[in-house]
Amino acid sequence: MEIPEKYVKAFREKHGENAEISTLKQIYERSLITPGEDVGVIAAQSIGEASTQLTLRTKHAAGLTVINTTAGLPRLVEIFDAKKEISTPAMDIYLKPEYDRSRQKVTDIANRLIEIKAKDLISSYNLSLRKKEINFLIDRDTLKAYGLTMRDLSSKFSKLKVSVKVEADTIIVTDKTADNVKKLIKLRNKLNDLSISGVPNISRAVINEDREGSLWIKTSGTNLTEVLKMDEVDQSRTVSNDIIEVSKIFGIEAARNLIVEEVYNTLQNVGLTVDLRHIFLIADAMCIDGTVKGIGRYGLSGETESVFARAAFEIPLKHLVEASLYHETDEFKYVANNVMSNQVIPIGTGSVELVVKGRGSESKNEDAGENKE
Amino acid sequence: MTFVFVNGRLCGKTDDGEKLCSQIVSDRRKGMLSSNLNVRYRKDADGVFINTDGGRLVRALIVVKNGKPLVTSDDINLLEANHLSWDDLVAAGKIEYLDADEEEDAYVALNESELTNEHTHLEISPLSVFGTQAALLPFINHSNAHRNVTAVKSVQQGVGNYSTNYLIRMDNDSMVAIDQQMPIVKTKMYENESFKTHVFGQNVVVAVVSYLGYNMDDAIIINKSSVDRGLFRAMFFRPYKVEETKYIGGQSDVVTIPDKDVIGYRSEDAYKFLDEDGIAFPSAHVESGDVLIGKVSPPRFVSSIDKFRLGVQKQVESSIECRTGENGIVENVYVTSTADGNKYVSLKVRQERRVEIGDKFGSRSGQKGVVGMLFDEADMPFTYSGIIPDLIFSPYSLPTRMSMAYLLELLSGKVGALGGRYVDGTPFTGEKEEDIRRELGSYGFRESGVETMYNGITGEEMKIRIFIGDMTYIRLKHFVANKIQWRARGPIQLLTRQPTEGKSKSGGLRLGEMEKDCFVAYGAAMSLKERFDSDKIPVPVCSKCGMTAVYNFRKRTGYCAIDGEDAPIKLIEVSASFKILLDELKSVGIYPRIILGKKV
Repeated sequence: MEIPEKYVKAFREKHGENAEISTLKQIYERSLITPGEDVGVIAAQSIGEASTQLTLRTKHAAGLTVINTTAGLPRLVEIFDAKKEISTPAMDIYLKPEYDRSRQKVTDIANRLIEIKAKDLISSYNLSLRKKEINFLIDRDTLKAYGLTMRDLSSKFSKLKVSVKVEADTIIVTDKTADNVKKLIKLRNKLNDLSISGVPNISRAVINEDREGSLWIKTSGTNLTEVLKMDEVDQSRTVSNDIIEVSKIFGIEAARNLIVEEVYNTLQNVGLTVDLRHIFLIADAMCIDGTVKGIGRYGLSGETESVFARAAFEIPLKHLVEASLYHETDEFKYVANNVMSNQVIPIGTGSVELVVKGRGSESKNEDAGENKE
Repeated sequence: MTFVFVNGRLCGKTDDGEKLCSQIVSDRRKGMLSSNLNVRYRKDADGVFINTDGGRLVRALIVVKNGKPLVTSDDINLLEANHLSWDDLVAAGKIEYLDADEEEDAYVALNESELTNEHTHLEISPLSVFGTQAALLPFINHSNAHRNVTAVKSVQQGVGNYSTNYLIRMDNDSMVAIDQQMPIVKTKMYENESFKTHVFGQNVVVAVVSYLGYNMDDAIIINKSSVDRGLFRAMFFRPYKVEETKYIGGQSDVVTIPDKDVIGYRSEDAYKFLDEDGIAFPSAHVESGDVLIGKVSPPRFVSSIDKFRLGVQKQVESSIECRTGENGIVENVYVTSTADGNKYVSLKVRQERRVEIGDKFGSRSGQKGVVGMLFDEADMPFTYSGIIPDLIFSPYSLPTRMSMAYLLELLSGKVGALGGRYVDGTPFTGEKEEDIRRELGSYGFRESGVETMYNGITGEEMKIRIFIGDMTYIRLKHFVANKIQWRARGPIQLLTRQPTEGKSKSGGLRLGEMEKDCFVAYGAAMSLKERFDSDKIPVPVCSKCGMTAVYNFRKRTGYCAIDGEDAPIKLIEVSASFKILLDELKSVGIYPRIILGKKV
């Protein structure tokens, strides 16, 4: 058996140039998986058993200056289903070395991250259908706290193709085309949701300090595209917990690593240890064709080659009808369909076959490999 | 302006709700209004709510005025001398019933000692905060609330004397303990007359020790010699009922000893216990399979040939036999008729239930477990004075559950047994732990309740002193004999050819989806296949069209419905359920074509 070069090198480094290579060979062979071992079921059982011990609902830390992320079983389900919109998106933003020591600078950056919408600054408003205008009363103090001016606000408002006038604390927006209240209300809602400053989708940012004393920011809400554009941000370390987003921006390998990390940490946080290799296998399976696919009806299980395996999993009618329409063939290579028809499963002892050379006559074998069309 | 509602319906209005409310209450106490009427003034809703309807839960409480209960010691003396009754006290307004609504505004004291001027009512006894069930449990004020709930559930399942006329009743699941004892540690609730005739449980000597590992994980060890002497023995009654149903055409079932020409006649031996009336006689020792009530029914379908036959039609045997795996003695037989005028026969078989491994026992403190081992008296541990416990309880069941009532009952039971008296374990007001310990010391025992014990098998002294005492244990209704089931081969379902399900049909033990996964994960492919071989059948397949063919196994010939006599037919081995799947696919118009591999 060929031993990969890197292992030989590492072995020599550790035990000296003259170390017995047969020892390495033994270790290497021992750590290989036996042919025919069903690693998939073992991985599924290893994670499945552990997750039965997770409590369904996790405690919330309300009112603390901590970004609350989903943990426990709900998070695990979220990851394995490859949910497009996760319940608590969050980012860990690391900064370049010249910024991450000063709390002042980091606070500035964090404040710039938080998305401020117009409604955060407006204290009250009134509509006038006769004048076709909306008067927004702006809260000066909040405005100042966020380091904004009335001009910033009005210039953002005017992008919506309406005439904007500033009078002391009020911004008067006039829309000539608005001929009924409905339109005015629509406009008001639109203006309310207008992003004035900050990075879209990021609602909170909390500064954390690591052991070496360097500061990093945890946000609730993710927007990697915008954050990575910022000069202060260290692109090589900053991550989001949104697997789909990471796969779009950093690529599938990064997404795979994130799946492994998130699953491992989720289990670790509740005090369960699952061998990393089981998680590797599942993460690899989820990322195998370049996009992140969940495990389930619309993911891996729903795309199995075998008609019967798919039918046995969910919505049998749909799969059987489709199989007949498209003239599908089931080659009976999987576990589910072989168990169904009471054949030997091609796993473990069933993955090998004994060939007997008969004397003259042909050997008889009762095992039937039958296929379905 | 305050609105007045009677039973939730708006009835009028008043200027001063509070005044009206107190007026009604004082009138009720004077006896001018029914004692079942309750009233409450709600400030937030500004309304007076009067309830008189049925179904409200009401509680009796002693009325308190200016920090003094209206029921005085004079009243209690009169009560004891039977000169005064409960109804007199209610009529006098000294005791009143409050419902959930009126109770909201009541300030109830638990004890007389804690009464203040603000209190409006006093509990008759602190025990009355519990229900009848919880009040039967001793020292539960020392236990975790969750344990007390468990204890109530346990006691409900206890086998005792559920009814004094159990012998003539025909209940399903009727179990009666042969010997019941009044618990040594009682609560006030046991003074109630009806508990004296419906006692459950027996007082046993319990040692809290881990012994040879047979009492790990909540299991208990019971002294087999005590069982031989009748400890915890119980009876189980199985009723059988039969009705002579009448059918259209004037025919009907007949309870009788079936004739030999009846369709489905069993062996003569099966009917040996039947009397002339076709019913097994009382005191017959029946085994499973013996007919208890002989019955014949008219044939379900009348065939065309039968019309030309002379004489009476052949009847079908439909007797009731003793259940499989059960035996016993016919206790009593009733013959009566139903409302429709049909003859109705019911019969009860008594079975003895000795204690065996796996039977469930519980104490009155939420500590329940199954018998892990029955040890001979000689093998049980013994104390210096020669006391051999009836039951060994594991000490590992205590720390996490913190059911202190168990330990207190054990200690108090010991004192009660030594002193020849009952111990009062009423929650809150029962005897104090210090007094019990002191009394135990006065009998010459260690106050802690521990004693030196010796291993019954080796005779060695145990390195630690063992906590041993007397307490009440209850046999719970889960008997192994009623639940045990096994099968190697047996009946199968007609359609799928899979084994039947359930104990009554002597069904198989299912190897489920997740168990299957374990076989797969282990790589035991052949074992898995063998496990699922229960419904395997050889299916003839035409290798030309891939459809199931027709095959005569004896002549070894067959034909295909499509390709005719010369079709190449091969036999494959699949599960019957898979063949059904293929058949069902065909029935919905999908052509499941089987392409055979090289090996066939």
